Amino acid sequence: MAKHEHTAPPSDPALRVKALESLLLEKGLIDAKALDEIIDTYENKVGPRNGAAVVARAWVDADYKKRLLDDATAAIAELGFSGVQGEDMVVVENLPGLHNIVVCTLCSCYPWPTLGLPPVWYKAAPYRSRAVSDPRGVLDEFGVSLADDVEIRVWDSNAELRYLVLPERPDGTDGMSEDELAAMVTRDSMIGTGVIQAPK
Amino acid sequence: MAVLTADMVAGLASTGASCRLDETVAPKFSVGDHVVVRNINPTGHTRLPRYVRGKRGIVDRDHGVFIFPDTNAHSEGEKPQHVYSVRFTPRELWGGDASERDSVYIDMWDDYIDPAS
Repeated sequence: MAKHEHTAPPSDPALRVKALESLLLEKGLIDAKALDEIIDTYENKVGPRNGAAVVARAWVDADYKKRLLDDATAAIAELGFSGVQGEDMVVVENLPGLHNIVVCTLCSCYPWPTLGLPPVWYKAAPYRSRAVSDPRGVLDEFGVSLADDVEIRVWDSNAELRYLVLPERPDGTDGMSEDELAAMVTRDSMIGTGVIQAPK
Repeated sequence: MAVLTADMVAGLASTGASCRLDETVAPKFSVGDHVVVRNINPTGHTRLPRYVRGKRGIVDRDHGVFIFPDTNAHSEGEKPQHVYSVRFTPRELWGGDASERDSVYIDMWDDYIDPAS
């Protein structure tokens, strides 16, 4: 059999995105530099380090934490994070014996200003269906094994509210600075599919 | 001249477009009310997931007034109404021996729910 060099066509979603991009550009609806700016914003500027800063502030400042739980949108904006897919925020607090986990069963709704764009698994059908029907099983697969007496609250962001989990501050972090604390906060801990390990 | 230019991106991204409305609309429900989700099957856009249709829950908090997506998505008006976080037990949603202590919270517009009799 003769050897052929093939270039596989791009995937269907990639082709669709290219078609949409071409149409937007050719119809003069968007400037190519604006597209670059959007991509740069969500690749390099907006991501889970923002949410980590919010969590660390809440851990060290009881007044801030109260504001965060009372009016999350305003408290998050105090740290300079706001906008698309974070217009109306709710923060839910993990406590001893209580674990929160966030899902969007309808699609992929996710708090962009604090967490950036959602990971692929968050948008995929298995997570979206099983997070509501078997949260304990899903958490177990993420390596989070909760004791049987821990209450689980699942938050479906099916409407316009976007949810962020305030994870528990691990033991053994009393002497740490706000920056050091923020560095410990993982993306998954703010979705509720992870917990933060105590420093060794 | 493009409608969206690079210098507009930062402002748009950090402002967004909230669907919350600063309008006074009387809420149909209060925190603690027992409600049942309407078993409706719209052919157009909806934000009412099938897994809660016909299920009973309790209003946990009132998020305020928002645009109703089922009409707004079809250019049929904003139809402002309250959105509530409604708590369901896994037992109610999945039956069998599912937990009665754990919770699934889902956000419901007024037009998605009725008082539970």
